[in-house]
Amino acid sequence: MAESPATRTRRPRLGPGQIALEAAQPIVDAPDQVRASYRFSDPALSELPLDRLLDELLNRTQEALDVDTVAILLLDEEAQQLVARAAKGIEEEVERGVRIPIGRGFAGRIAAERVAIFIADVDHADILNPILREKGIRSLLGAPLIVEGHLIGVMHVGSLRPRTFGQNDVAILQLATARAAPAIERASLAARLEHEHNVSVALQHSLLPKRLGSFVGATLAARYLPAREEVGGDWYDVIELPRGRVGLVIGDVVGHGVPAASLMGRLRTALHSYAIESHGPGRTLELVDRFVQSLNEPAMATAAYAVFDPYASSVQYAAAGHLPPVVITPSGTRVIDVTPAPPLGAFPYGRCAEHEFALEREDILFLYTDGLVERRGIPLSEGIEALATSVQGAVSPEEACVAAVADLVPLTGLRDDVAIVALQNSPVPAELDLRLPAEPATLAQVRRMLRRWLVEQGAGEADVAEVTIAVSEACANAIEHAYSPAPATFELEAWTDDGEVTIAVRDNGQWREPRGEENRGRGLSIISAAMDDVQIDRQSTGTAVVMRRRLWNQ
Amino acid sequence: MSLADVHISHASGALVARLVGEVDMSNAEELGATVIGAMPSDARGVVLDLSAVEYLDSAGIYVIHGMRASLQARGQRLLLVIPADSPVHDTLRLSGAQHPGEVVGELDAALRALDGSRPRDP
Repeated sequence: MAESPATRTRRPRLGPGQIALEAAQPIVDAPDQVRASYRFSDPALSELPLDRLLDELLNRTQEALDVDTVAILLLDEEAQQLVARAAKGIEEEVERGVRIPIGRGFAGRIAAERVAIFIADVDHADILNPILREKGIRSLLGAPLIVEGHLIGVMHVGSLRPRTFGQNDVAILQLATARAAPAIERASLAARLEHEHNVSVALQHSLLPKRLGSFVGATLAARYLPAREEVGGDWYDVIELPRGRVGLVIGDVVGHGVPAASLMGRLRTALHSYAIESHGPGRTLELVDRFVQSLNEPAMATAAYAVFDPYASSVQYAAAGHLPPVVITPSGTRVIDVTPAPPLGAFPYGRCAEHEFALEREDILFLYTDGLVERRGIPLSEGIEALATSVQGAVSPEEACVAAVADLVPLTGLRDDVAIVALQNSPVPAELDLRLPAEPATLAQVRRMLRRWLVEQGAGEADVAEVTIAVSEACANAIEHAYSPAPATFELEAWTDDGEVTIAVRDNGQWREPRGEENRGRGLSIISAAMDDVQIDRQSTGTAVVMRRRLWNQ
Repeated sequence: MSLADVHISHASGALVARLVGEVDMSNAEELGATVIGAMPSDARGVVLDLSAVEYLDSAGIYVIHGMRASLQARGQRLLLVIPADSPVHDTLRLSGAQHPGEVVGELDAALRALDGSRPRDP
């Protein structure tokens, strides 16, 4: 049958030694075919991921046809090439990433003609892929993989001994391809979706803050959990604000996948930019709303922005379409009752009201997106109640995140993504021992930290102001000493002993004598006037300024 | 994140520069340059309103001295608004140094002082 002259005349463009085969009519009583049919219609196959599925199809085909090699090449539609995707006996095809142009060579012609092709003798055939010859394959049989009229690839089998593949063999191979093609298509789609999911998750993670930063008087924790199937546009952000305040952002872009993640990135940047310009939470969200309106694309998001002031132990808060925040206190948990403005992008020129509430020492502010509390068939208010119950008793933001994720994220995965960011109003340590970058920008951070520390040591207003300026002057000296191209640091230690604070600032630079009217002389005068006692120890290896002052308020 | 902002306005033929925030070695020179840069050459002087400054240290004092010197060279006055209970007042007290210019307790007083020196219309 293979040498049928009829097929030769119908397929005149076939290469030498190639014979196109008519679709085989199933031979009902052929036991081989019945067995093969069982092999390829095993429902277990449909459960397998792409790689395992291909592997299993290769094994079963090899067994059913008793051949030495089996290979599956899948169509790269863009390149119009077949790419070796899985192989048995000729694994080199896959390893070397063999690509065959459609229409050329053995597999290329199967794809172009969409017919099974038998090659009795490889030596006298138009074979493009050298691996087939290298492996010593003598005879080949291949068939197209077709799903709903679309070619998705080619499957071929080979024999190391010259062999004539008959009608029965063609029928079995076609059973294999008929079963394989839709399964491969489905698994490829799943793999592609998984790839897109991974890209989105990677994108999402690249857009979220790398680290939460360290703040005096505030401890932070955050989570981002992608959805089981599709990434969403949830985000959180932590923003360092002037005068020691900390900005906390949570948001959720409507939509899924890469577009949502990309819009999320833009919104996060926009909100962050307005926030560092010291706009309050309400104004910041109004500006982001305008930004969304200006995009000229269908875009909507919910967001909340909270500004924590560690000196006032208070939070300024505004929300646009976002779920209410939860505050965890040592005595219980409460959902803060705030009426949010409409979502960002919903109505032009929306106003966004600001709310203020207390966040006392140890209290935790917990912001989250709806993916954490929304469950099908359960009212949202119950989901929020479940969250409040779950985080009750948490003594740190990290513990609150752990509890919420453990109690509310289903084991089967999330339908929607989740972002959480939590902040605790936390005390500063009783003794400071810090290594700080010798940069002018450090000074403001030192002052913030020191003010809070001094208050906790029982310092009064005048103590705080005067010790702060003395220490800031000493640190400015250390930063000037360290002036060098290489990144340098200095050390700050502070402790209290019986109502007297001692603060030591140590650097590794050379002491420079005060120069008359210059800054440094004035700086030293300020330090001496502000503190009860100042010791300056100048060594060739560095300078230490040790300052003491009895706190008046004690 | 800016540690301090300058708000510039004009009153009584003078430039009024109101500083808000904290002033230290990280921003003092830039703030000084901003004020001097905004100064019209025909203005009679600068009112530097420091009443909303929450922190100012020796780097700030140094820059104010520099501003006074450059204004003096142009025949222009520098008036400093420093309320008695302000952080800037504390810094100047601690530094023990001579005040870097004419000091008044409030903006109105500064503007009155400048008005007093306004030439009478013919």
